[in-house]
Amino acid sequence: MIAKDNLIAASMSLIGERFEWQVRIGKFCRRTIRRTDCPCILIRKRRRTIAFPKTQTQGENQRMSKDGHSDKLRLGFIATVEVEGRGCVGGLLVTNCSGRPLEFQCTTPVRPDRTQEILYGKMLRPWLLGELIGKTLLDRVSIKPDIIVTGDPDLLELRNHTSTPVACTSEALSEIAAAMASSGSSGDLGGRRLRFHHSHPDDSSFVRQQLHQIPGQADLEEPLERVQQALNETVRTVMAR
Amino acid sequence: MDGHSVAGTAESTDVTQPLVECHAVDLNRTAGVASAGFNPALKRVPQMDVISVPLQRRPDFVPSWKPRRIPVKCIGLTLPEGLAFQPPEQKQETQSDGITLKKPDPPKKPSRLDENGKPKHTRVKPPPNALSLQDRLFYLLQPPLESWLAGQELIMPFEPFPYQYEGIAWMFARHSALLADEMGLGKTMQTITGIRLLLRSGQVNRILLICPKPLIPNWQREFRTWAEELPIVTIEGNGARRRMLWTMPGVPILITNYESMTRDLAEFSEEDAPKFDLLVLDEAQRIKNRDSRTAQVARGINRRRSWALTGTPIENRPEELASLFEFLEVIPAHASPDLRQLSALASEHILRRTKDVVMKDMPPRIDRDAELELTDAQQYTYRTAEKEGIIQLNELGDSISVQHVFELVMRLKQITNHDPLTNESVKLERLVADMEEVAASGAKAILFSQWTKTIDWLEERLQQFNPLVYHGGVPTKKREPILAKFKEDPDAHIILMSYGTGAVGLNLQFAHYVFLYDRWWNPAIEDQAINRAHRIGVTAPVIVTRFICKDTIEERIDRVLREKRELAEAILGDGDNDNVSLGMNATEIFGLFDLKKRTTKGASQSIGPARPEAA
Repeated sequence: MIAKDNLIAASMSLIGERFEWQVRIGKFCRRTIRRTDCPCILIRKRRRTIAFPKTQTQGENQRMSKDGHSDKLRLGFIATVEVEGRGCVGGLLVTNCSGRPLEFQCTTPVRPDRTQEILYGKMLRPWLLGELIGKTLLDRVSIKPDIIVTGDPDLLELRNHTSTPVACTSEALSEIAAAMASSGSSGDLGGRRLRFHHSHPDDSSFVRQQLHQIPGQADLEEPLERVQQALNETVRTVMAR
Repeated sequence: MDGHSVAGTAESTDVTQPLVECHAVDLNRTAGVASAGFNPALKRVPQMDVISVPLQRRPDFVPSWKPRRIPVKCIGLTLPEGLAFQPPEQKQETQSDGITLKKPDPPKKPSRLDENGKPKHTRVKPPPNALSLQDRLFYLLQPPLESWLAGQELIMPFEPFPYQYEGIAWMFARHSALLADEMGLGKTMQTITGIRLLLRSGQVNRILLICPKPLIPNWQREFRTWAEELPIVTIEGNGARRRMLWTMPGVPILITNYESMTRDLAEFSEEDAPKFDLLVLDEAQRIKNRDSRTAQVARGINRRRSWALTGTPIENRPEELASLFEFLEVIPAHASPDLRQLSALASEHILRRTKDVVMKDMPPRIDRDAELELTDAQQYTYRTAEKEGIIQLNELGDSISVQHVFELVMRLKQITNHDPLTNESVKLERLVADMEEVAASGAKAILFSQWTKTIDWLEERLQQFNPLVYHGGVPTKKREPILAKFKEDPDAHIILMSYGTGAVGLNLQFAHYVFLYDRWWNPAIEDQAINRAHRIGVTAPVIVTRFICKDTIEERIDRVLREKRELAEAILGDGDNDNVSLGMNATEIFGLFDLKKRTTKGASQSIGPARPEAA
């Protein structure tokens, strides 16, 4: 134990993921430490560190970490909205596994010309949403998602331009999307059945391995609503300027 | 040709007799073909050659269109880092045979559903004054509170009510907010959760919470309940220790009381003064007087966000609201907004809900006035004191002040409580009768009085009900055990409280009876006291009994206060007619004895006792 007359100062700070009292040891000053105020008491004496673990409490499981982005699994939620007469706007929201937002990117409106509409035909939307908008957004985000979730089956095309698995929550598939989507699924997550690109059969098993990191009650469509709202807000703000 | 010539000749014979000549024409002529030179060619056999054509060869094609990548521009937003919590550990239990069992997950809470059967979401809305796109997107992209607080990241011990979700979302998005929910609707919980979310999303790192001193244990307890993981530090101890705590880095939440704030912060120079991301004032009516030292110091604290909590934003005058707005920095210093401006500011910066609006399922509060006749001895003492008092006041002439009148009022009120000469008390008789019923049913009651002496007097006479005493004379350290005993001891049927100490911040919803032994000057304070029992969690109707002695000063005061319950409603809106009213001013106090006010000052001067100091 540390003799009382060795204590000279106390300070409290967040160190790593622990909230600690730091007590420097000296000769001339005394300071009382209340262990009940902190989960751990750290006492340093001549470069030696002695840590006294606090009795386990119910809140011990929820200690803070300073790095808010330290979660392992990151989810990307991608959605698009049509702007009348100006094309399509896409947004990508990257969250942690609990849905807390970490980064958001959205595009300016993208509109194909008449030639592209004719020549791409039924593949126009997958090309526009997946290759053009989706890939651009994915390239721009600094926090790369581990799984991308979308509600638009045409965005499954994005999977052909990235190594990140793309999952679709939508049950209704267009003809083209049905051709892209696999018939299998990774099972239910938050009451949603996920579909993947048929060319990438390993996506399903990869996502299944990550399911334990996603809370069971998570609603995967809810963040997509946030993206839609953010896109509408962006369009409204930009149009008003 | 030749025939025509013959006919012409015959016609002319009639005149000149022409000569007829005959020529023989050889009709046997043959046709010949002129030689053109190509007839032989027709008879000639054409010459044919075979030319080899390569059928595999593609036709030449020059495309006029090439696939072109449309340039796509992006707008980005990186959200600030927040404080993260470690995920709950998977508690496992190991049996004696070494098999590890996973503890089963707690049952899922049923989520609220909207009319379409989908989970109901309370979203954070951008505040109207958030102009930049980034600011608005920040709020829009936050998860709905239900999922944020559903145990994914933040554990909530109890499911908040829908209006509480809305309150949390409202506070989260505001830099200047006055949460003025009626007492008992959970301002503390909403504030703690709002703080928790702000910390979690990286919006704030350092928070100062100021409350009346007796409420500090209450806040500590509520923080432990609603945000166990948040480290809080209470500023206490000697001067050096307090100074160290004020400036200690890395402390997310500091809690202190108004007196400590006023005293300690005066010792800091402007450069050394601590800075905060959020300043929360509990019972913010403490700064209703904008010229008071407390209000000035509170306004001078360096902070980015300001929240104020009070169940009674207006106690006496609309100007009190202006003082709160000045603290919130939504009006300039010393500004005097009129009622219309105050109303507009209130709609923007005040959130107030009343129980009758948001808690329709809550058991009702039943008010009943017990109009009592003074006993003969009390009657005699009262009339004598009143007569002598009025004579003395008249003798004072122009030197009479509200304080003189006030002293007489206090003396008369004390006589209605009990006769100091004979110790007779009609209120005590009624109280004992009611308490016998309360105790027989195993229920508990709270009694409020203005005077600690009355409380001590009652304690001696209510021993059969095991009374507990809770007023300013009880040391702070002994107060929590008293409350715990009142809750847990089935034989403790009544707790005697002073308005000053017991009226704010306590959760006593297990008591279903409230007695107001004497009346406070302001019904808002009385309502605060009643709402210790009539609040969230109450399981049965709360019966409130006000003791009013007939033909006494109590009846006159009650009549005046009843007539003054409407001004605040005009400012704060409908549905707010129960808990906010105006105190009495000097003119009204003089009017209690049919005296005219002699001073020219203070038409709105409050002459009641100072607001009950929570001490």
